[in-house]
Amino acid sequence: MNPVAGGVALNLAFGFSILSIITLLIFIRNGDMRLFLTGQRLSLGISFFVFLSTFILWYQLIISNFDIDYVARYTSLETPFIYKISALWAGQSGSLLFWLFILSIFATITVLQNQSKHHGLMPWVIISLAIIQLFFLVLTNFVTNPFMPTDADFVVKNGNGLNPLLQNITMAIHPPTLYLGYVGFSVPFAFAISALMNRDTSPLWIQSIRRWTLVAWLFLSSGIILGGWWAYQELGWGGYWAWDPVENASFMPWLTATAFLHSIIIQEKKDMLRLWNMALIILTFALCIFGTFLTRSGVMSSVHSFTASSLGPIFLTFVFLILIVSFTLMFLRRSDLRSEKRIESFTSRESGFLFNNLVFVVMCFAVFWGTLFPVISEAVRGTKITVGPPFFNQINVPIGLILLALTGVGPLLAWRNTSKQSLIKNFTVPILSGLVAAVIFMAIGFKGSVVISFSLSVFVLATISTEFMRGIKARTKTFNESIVKALITMISKNRSRYGGYIVHVGIVFMFVGFTGHAFDKEKEFSLKIGQTDHVAGYEFTLLKLSETERSNHYAWISDIRVTDNKGEFVTNLYPEKRIYFHKNPDVNRRQPHSELDIYSTLNQDIYSIFSAIDNDNGIAFLKIMVNPLVRWVWIGGYILVIGTMIALWPRKD
Amino acid sequence: MHFISDYILVFIFFVLPVIFVIQPLFLNKINNLKNKIDLPSLKRKKRLLYRQIKELEMEFDIGNINQKDFKISRKELKIEVSEVITKLNSNKI
Repeated sequence: MNPVAGGVALNLAFGFSILSIITLLIFIRNGDMRLFLTGQRLSLGISFFVFLSTFILWYQLIISNFDIDYVARYTSLETPFIYKISALWAGQSGSLLFWLFILSIFATITVLQNQSKHHGLMPWVIISLAIIQLFFLVLTNFVTNPFMPTDADFVVKNGNGLNPLLQNITMAIHPPTLYLGYVGFSVPFAFAISALMNRDTSPLWIQSIRRWTLVAWLFLSSGIILGGWWAYQELGWGGYWAWDPVENASFMPWLTATAFLHSIIIQEKKDMLRLWNMALIILTFALCIFGTFLTRSGVMSSVHSFTASSLGPIFLTFVFLILIVSFTLMFLRRSDLRSEKRIESFTSRESGFLFNNLVFVVMCFAVFWGTLFPVISEAVRGTKITVGPPFFNQINVPIGLILLALTGVGPLLAWRNTSKQSLIKNFTVPILSGLVAAVIFMAIGFKGSVVISFSLSVFVLATISTEFMRGIKARTKTFNESIVKALITMISKNRSRYGGYIVHVGIVFMFVGFTGHAFDKEKEFSLKIGQTDHVAGYEFTLLKLSETERSNHYAWISDIRVTDNKGEFVTNLYPEKRIYFHKNPDVNRRQPHSELDIYSTLNQDIYSIFSAIDNDNGIAFLKIMVNPLVRWVWIGGYILVIGTMIALWPRKD
Repeated sequence: MHFISDYILVFIFFVLPVIFVIQPLFLNKINNLKNKIDLPSLKRKKRLLYRQIKELEMEFDIGNINQKDFKISRKELKIEVSEVITKLNSNKI
């Protein structure tokens, strides 16, 4: 397939997007349904041409057509097939095309799904999606075209190859997952704008985007967790979250989206918080674009700055436009967004949800402030002051603990008002469980936020268990079912409710994992073959040093035996020191990389890094870390995904 | 041969989408669906209201809501669902 066709397809998609917007605007004015159908089909046409150009670029990456600059920059003949596929999102122009590709998938689904539904909303939904597509089409057509030919006056026989940090299977999955989350919020945003344009602020538009929001939230959550997993496996600093600007960029929309997922329940059930929900979904989408801006602009120094560029001002302008247009619309429609109902009591589920929402937004603001502080300080005082993890931890740990507590409190509150008797009945067992746990943890010797986090985790698990038990009890009493049948029926008949509780269990497990960070231990040392050193009660003996050549790198492999303080065998670890692009005659272009090996248990991880090698004397320079409870973060992540899937699973009506 | 295959590609990737897009413009005038009652949305609303009634009953069964609030909310939801059913029935006729 000729690469020129890829560029032409992008041009056509650009033209179709403008035509689609114009056609639908005329339809809104004169109501001629033929124009609506044409606008709808033009929208499908945009997606068709975007799919075509994406598949052409993928094909060029696979066949290593180095006549295309993008292919030559991010792949080489040695790049394994899977990473040729993932190279689509390794560079700037490719990743923007990938953004557009995912958006086009979602736009197609939205158009096809609503062919006979939401006739009032759909024209503006399609227009909003087409405008977002148009923005990315402007970028990929005129600013950073992925089909640009190689700027060389000789035949390029081999490409640069992919950054070794990106040659990891998690990195092949993490960006698409995160993008699915980011882009997924375009659909709820488009529905929100459409509801504002149509003055239709009833709970119905909320119900039609609830599933979309959950899907986007699931992908965003999974993307963030996979990113943490990649950082832990690949970056070699022993952690999974560093409050890096790009990590924060994905965390901020997650916070507002999580708040939105909670508050739409109130709009669905009570028709309250209309204005608040509108603001939350607009903020979430704007933060998604802002996240892409942070990743792509290079305005922040980050471990993710693989593709720093000059796109910053364009993205920032788009974010401001989104905010100005959306909030102006909200202002103009403020009378429609006013709810007649009010929160009646402080001890009601509505107020619990609202409080939880406020905490999420405060946390989002704290992360936003910390992330942008270097830019703000440079603009105001001329010096770039970087805010590091201590700032974020100091602010966010207490806020996180409040959220954890609210996770437990919320389900026990009744709608409208919780009576004093109900409060006593519902809270006695969970509070007692939390207090007993706190006493036990303090007796063990834990202190401060560790005790609070662990005992709050116990409290929340107790509240969730209480909720499950009360539900089972009600069913066994009413329908005379067995406990297992009652549990299964109860979950399947109330998927969003119990799916949500399962997500909360996942969050609790993740908090347990985060808390384990307080007990991390590490040591750096060097070993000759046969020598031994000790870390955190474990003995590390270097048994062997070997070397091997693989398709895309050269590796030195260390064989380390780990035994515990009783001398019993624990495991063998094989961390590697690798040189990527080892065949490159230019020594400066060869890239060293440490490939870790981790021994993971529920209790703790033994994390080994082969930092350097002294070949002449046969010495391996190692760093060993013992990280307690990390596995609970990943287990929590799995549970979160399962819970969301349950909440998402379609039901028969 | 190469020349012919280029034309086929242009036909498939450009001419066909354009025909697909402009085809509705040659249809006789279609009524504006926007002004019609959105039946699928009404049916969906009915299903959601039924679901809300069931959820409310469950909240009451497990003790998350008192009897007075349960009765008021159930009555409100029932009135709402009957309005939707009336709209649906009138549209059928």
